Amino acid sequence: MAGRHDPVMHPPLSHPGWQTWPGAVFAMGILGLSLSGLGALIWQSPGVDITSLWHSSYLRGVIAFSFSQATLSVALSLFAAIPVARALDRHRNFAGRSLLLRLMELSLVLPTIVAISGLVAIYGRQGWLTPIISYLAPALDWNLYGLSGIVLAHVFFNAPLAARILLQSFENMPSQQRKLASQLGLGSLWLWRTIEWPAIRGILPGLAGLIFTLCFTSFAIVMTLGGGPSATTLEVAIYQALRFEFDFGRAALLALVQLLVCGSLWWVVVRHNTNAALMPNRVSQEHPSRRDSTGISHITDSLMLLFFSAFLVLPLAAIIWRGLPGLWDGQVSLLLPATLRSFAIALPAGALSVIVALLIVTASGSTRSRIISRLCDIAAHFPLIIPAIVMGTGLFLLLRPSLGTRYDGFALVALINALMALPFIVHLLRGPLQGLDGDTLKVADQLNIRGWYRWRWLHWPRLRKPLALSMAYGTALSLGDFGVIALFGTPAQPTLPVLLYQQLGSYQIASAAGTGLWIIALLLANFGMFNLLGRSPRLKESNHA
Amino acid sequence: MPNRLSPLLSAALFCVVSSVQASEELTIYTHPSFASEWGPGPAITEAFEEQCDCQVNLVALDSGGDILQRLRLEGSSSSADLVLGLDTGTMETARQTGLLAPHDIDLSALTLPVDWSDSLFVPYDWGYFAFVYNTEQLPTPPASLDDLINAPDDLKIIIQDPRTSTPGLGLLLWMRSVYGDQAPEKWVKLKNKILTTTKSWSDGYFSLFMNGEAPMILSYSTSPAYHMAIDKTDQYQAVQFEEGHYLQVEVAALVEASEHKALGRKFLEFMLTRDFQRHIPLKNVMYPATDLGAELPGVFSKLIQPETTLYFDPAEVASNRSRWLNEWLDAMTR
Repeated sequence: MAGRHDPVMHPPLSHPGWQTWPGAVFAMGILGLSLSGLGALIWQSPGVDITSLWHSSYLRGVIAFSFSQATLSVALSLFAAIPVARALDRHRNFAGRSLLLRLMELSLVLPTIVAISGLVAIYGRQGWLTPIISYLAPALDWNLYGLSGIVLAHVFFNAPLAARILLQSFENMPSQQRKLASQLGLGSLWLWRTIEWPAIRGILPGLAGLIFTLCFTSFAIVMTLGGGPSATTLEVAIYQALRFEFDFGRAALLALVQLLVCGSLWWVVVRHNTNAALMPNRVSQEHPSRRDSTGISHITDSLMLLFFSAFLVLPLAAIIWRGLPGLWDGQVSLLLPATLRSFAIALPAGALSVIVALLIVTASGSTRSRIISRLCDIAAHFPLIIPAIVMGTGLFLLLRPSLGTRYDGFALVALINALMALPFIVHLLRGPLQGLDGDTLKVADQLNIRGWYRWRWLHWPRLRKPLALSMAYGTALSLGDFGVIALFGTPAQPTLPVLLYQQLGSYQIASAAGTGLWIIALLLANFGMFNLLGRSPRLKESNHA
Repeated sequence: MPNRLSPLLSAALFCVVSSVQASEELTIYTHPSFASEWGPGPAITEAFEEQCDCQVNLVALDSGGDILQRLRLEGSSSSADLVLGLDTGTMETARQTGLLAPHDIDLSALTLPVDWSDSLFVPYDWGYFAFVYNTEQLPTPPASLDDLINAPDDLKIIIQDPRTSTPGLGLLLWMRSVYGDQAPEKWVKLKNKILTTTKSWSDGYFSLFMNGEAPMILSYSTSPAYHMAIDKTDQYQAVQFEEGHYLQVEVAALVEASEHKALGRKFLEFMLTRDFQRHIPLKNVMYPATDLGAELPGVFSKLIQPETTLYFDPAEVASNRSRWLNEWLDAMTR
């Protein structure tokens, strides 16, 4: 290539600063926004009584409970996710694999109230499976309401997410190693020790931290399935302080406590999580068949996948069963405009989230400054820990004088939705983006494949699928979100989740069930669509989902 | 009225006031189920606009608490002329903000179960908290709060959390008004009957009660009216308790900072006329605040008629709420 002999030729955006600064600026913006939201609350409150936190046995109980349920949920989610991801990696050609992947993507983004209704229909006192569980395991004395229900719901939401992310790491395992393993005829245990474990070791702590934070801050699930006020998270106390007691100071303090607990966890994770564990990686598109995908492991894998599919499908089936009558009931005229409005918010939110995540991950991977790298890591997870209600109130206080039209409201909803999706998308993109090995990069440098060209020719082919999945997650999280849109939305123009809650509030139980089903169908279509877009043209005929 | 949407909503929010209009504008902060397609909002707006040469803007915030929150956040720069959807639980806090103005209207048309002479708040509907039960699952429900508390533990009920939900707080006050200082002990006995304590009315009603999870749920005495009139089923009925039922009154008030106070007062007067009140029974599923005569839907005569109305003065609730909440927490986590 001419570049080596022509010192004046610089590929577009090839200055190293382009890799670091946009991401770093966004990261600082996110931190600044979150902290000033918190600060606005404290500043607006007359006095903040810090000692009350120390002395409150209630608060200690809340933190202890949140901690134990979250730890249990993380353990069980990963316990289920790892073998499922392995089995899905081993078996790439069974019928329904693609659909199963879509369902796994779906569970995290389901609107909570709809998902709970599905879980209750299966595992509740009148649930489809409850008599079977009681018959098979009478000693279990199955009762959905309590710790068991909370953990079950959290596994339902998070295990599929974890398995999906793990599977992506397995798929990124270098093909040379796979080939070698295949030629050597390594068995399952050996494969695990030599290839699979190293492939996921680097992302497991971060994944565990992600799920822990989700469970630690979980709100409606914990209350509905927890059985009583002994099952309470900090988020409940924050909500109470803001909505009933109008005590901004207390709300901000509780948010800080949450930040402290989850933040110190992240600190531990980040400290021990060196990305060196990520393996050198070139083209990883061809997958030789695995020796351990036959025989006895074939049977156990099939059983396990069957089991896992049932775990995901049954609650959805209950939602469909319940929602169909309401869906036929002529509410298309309501659903269609609400759908358009939802997408009008969700697509920009998803795109913004993906762009910011890309910049942040790039910055964190390319910078030599530890501070910037840490800053990016922290910013990427901040939105998960700061409750949306606190962010919303704080931002309202800050921006109030300049807010006016409804479009400002929608834009702010899209912005907050994008922030909420950021942590997930960063996890989806980090592996594929930072996985280019040193040799490849060196060659690329010599060939002057830098800047835009490096992005176009080296990253893009590897990122197509993860980017599409990220976009799907970003859009879906926003589509199913009720919390933020209800802070800013307007009644005359409901989005889908707002419509659902309006129907619930007006006793339109059947229509609400129909709307819930419609949201799920849309989410599924959303994942399906982005999955199609993410397939690289060359591989259209292959079976990779 | 049971909207109390739920999740993280609360606090802040956006003003959705369309700008420049020829005629006068009246901006009302209310909650979503009032403003929704199925709520009374659209019909009432239309009826008022016919007689006022003005435009009514409904801005929906999640609940009474959120309406108040928004008002406090905006202070004297609020774009609201009226707030509609506060209730006896949030009234006192709203009064203390000093952001509301006296209504100066004649309240003699009111037909509430209690005397009402408040200078700031005008009631527009009311209802009793009650347990609604599924007649197919529970042929003979307990006849009193006492019977419920002493029932065998296999009778399961769903309640809402008083920390996050209006009916939830209603039950706390109900128990308190019946048992006074004995209330915490009674909660301990009731505890084993409580299947779960949901965050909002919707969570419990939709996800659990209508899924058949428990035969009884804390709701309103008027809930069966909707099921009977619109769903055409008698399957869901409220239980009448001998001790009486706790009252909830929903109110509206004028905002001090409003530049359209005269129009606002006109709306408050309109609120107590039939053109407004006739939409309350089936669209807000509550009792109208004035006598509708023959216009009251027939199903309302089939509802329970509590003999005793239990009611704390809002000021008393405001000064005791956090203590009563803590006692409840103690009892429930004991």
